[in-house]
Amino acid sequence: MAVGQRDPVVTLYRTLLVCAAVGIVILAAGLAEFFYFEPFAQSSGLHARITGVYAYDPVTHQTSGPDRSTFLRTEQFAATVDWSTLPANITVQAIWYDSFSNVVGQVGPAKPADLANQATVPVELPQGLSYHLPGQYVFAVERDQGGQPVEVLARRLVEVERT
Amino acid sequence: MSAVAPRRSANPRPHGRPARYRLAALIAAIVVIVMVANSLLDYVFLDTIPGRTSLFGLVAVVLVAVATFVFVRAFERDPAQRTRYLVRAAVLLGIAALLWLLVSDAFLFASSAGPVVAVVSTAACIPTTAFGLFVIRRIDRNEKEPWRLVLVAAAWGALVATSLVIWGESFWEQIAVRTLVPGPGLDATQAFSAGLLEELGKGTAVLLLFLVMRNEFDDVVDGIVYGAAVGLGFNFMESLTYMTNLYAIFDPAGAGPIAAGFQWYARQVLGLFMGHATYTAFVGAGIGIARQLPNRRSKVLAIVAGFVIAIAAHFSWDAWLNFFPIGGGLLGLAGIHLRTILMTGPFTTVVIVLLILGLRSESTALSAQLRKEAATGAGVVVPEEVDILRSPWRRFRERLRALDRRGIGAYVRLARLQAAQLDLAMERWHRERQELDEPLEAEDELRRKILVLRQLAAF
Repeated sequence: MAVGQRDPVVTLYRTLLVCAAVGIVILAAGLAEFFYFEPFAQSSGLHARITGVYAYDPVTHQTSGPDRSTFLRTEQFAATVDWSTLPANITVQAIWYDSFSNVVGQVGPAKPADLANQATVPVELPQGLSYHLPGQYVFAVERDQGGQPVEVLARRLVEVERT
Repeated sequence: MSAVAPRRSANPRPHGRPARYRLAALIAAIVVIVMVANSLLDYVFLDTIPGRTSLFGLVAVVLVAVATFVFVRAFERDPAQRTRYLVRAAVLLGIAALLWLLVSDAFLFASSAGPVVAVVSTAACIPTTAFGLFVIRRIDRNEKEPWRLVLVAAAWGALVATSLVIWGESFWEQIAVRTLVPGPGLDATQAFSAGLLEELGKGTAVLLLFLVMRNEFDDVVDGIVYGAAVGLGFNFMESLTYMTNLYAIFDPAGAGPIAAGFQWYARQVLGLFMGHATYTAFVGAGIGIARQLPNRRSKVLAIVAGFVIAIAAHFSWDAWLNFFPIGGGLLGLAGIHLRTILMTGPFTTVVIVLLILGLRSESTALSAQLRKEAATGAGVVVPEEVDILRSPWRRFRERLRALDRRGIGAYVRLARLQAAQLDLAMERWHRERQELDEPLEAEDELRRKILVLRQLAAF
């Protein structure tokens, strides 16, 4: 190599380091996003009570049978929440998430007293489908602050079986 | 004035078994332990495919039997040959164990929709993945990597890397859904899990190739080729998983083939290069650059940098995909393409830039080495060949001339001669940069081989 000529490997190395710096910025942005939506200092010590997850009749809007943690794709089901255990001055919502993290059922956000007549939260069928998607569903009672959920007050996991 | 700039050796251990083999053995041992743990967890928690063990167990049993045969025969040999036979027996035994573990784990990924859908999905993904491997091998225009290593890299991505990450990701997900607020924060942590675990799983393959097959791992170009090959293998198995899984989910609504077909297009056409191939190419680029750096600190930094970019690129796709919602109809179709181009395109572009820089550096170095070799007058490279050898197009034209004059045999012989001459130039380049741990005799042996090839290729 001629004296004074730059080694091309050094150029490649520096290019790589610049890219890595961009990568670190991306990962830092990801961490910032994580801590923004998961504010760990927001714990209120409150707990909601999910009384159960039951088979649900969408015509009569009634639940039936025992509390269950697995359902068939063809079965309709809903969770029931006891809103009376929560203080009146907080904003809460209850949401069903399917295995693809889509929201498939929701009540709120509202004050717990306003949700007293919405104790049953059914899972809705995805648009255009006759059956629920299989996989793990999450039912979460969340406390909202500043227009976004900051804390899960109660949670239930339900498995919708593939067959 | 020109001179060789004094530099420290990139691989300053000239004789004996290099320390990198011990590191490779350590990494391989960790991989085997993780895979055994995976299989045990499969057995305990996912014992849904009892037939797979008996089916593939048969192949393993045959290999164990052959290994035993070789082992017994080893003791009929003299001590000098005995070690070789024992090594062969151990290798066969290792292959049997790995086959059992790998294939039983691989079956996990395609079991949801039944064997017919799995076979059709596999048949659909093989041509596209093969095309991807063909392209990435071709771009290494000066010294193509051997198919056996490219395929080993892809197989690692498809079988080992996927098996390595499945339990880690599942474990991470189960903790996250039980502790975090559902929404963007949870999505972000799962994206971290995918980026971190999948890139570590895939990158381990490239790292092992670098440690064990140093002769076939020359620079950033080779790193990108091997990295992309691992990524294509991983993408192959992931495509199968998604195609079979979504087929099973949407089949009751009559939309199974459409769901599987969409996954095929998104992963095997649109995302063939703009996805896992790009991410792991970064890992390979980092390792390839480290191959040619003189001190350990820079080497480690380059490898870490490659992993960081790969993890970040992968993370950004998984975490921020939802920021580009896709509608229906033609606009939705355009949106799918635009999303991939906008989110992964910049990373793929950077890989291409690194590749171009690497190819340019490699071509310049090989030209210089070919000229130096021609100047020795040894006849291994003659001056008239230098301009031909430095140009892939002119090399190809020469081979076509050979084909025209003497048929396919002459074409193949000339191709072998050209490849060996370029190998020599590559060896000279690494020796000049003090990046070799082979003795000089290996280079002289290559010269002798070239002279023989030249006689065979003469026309």
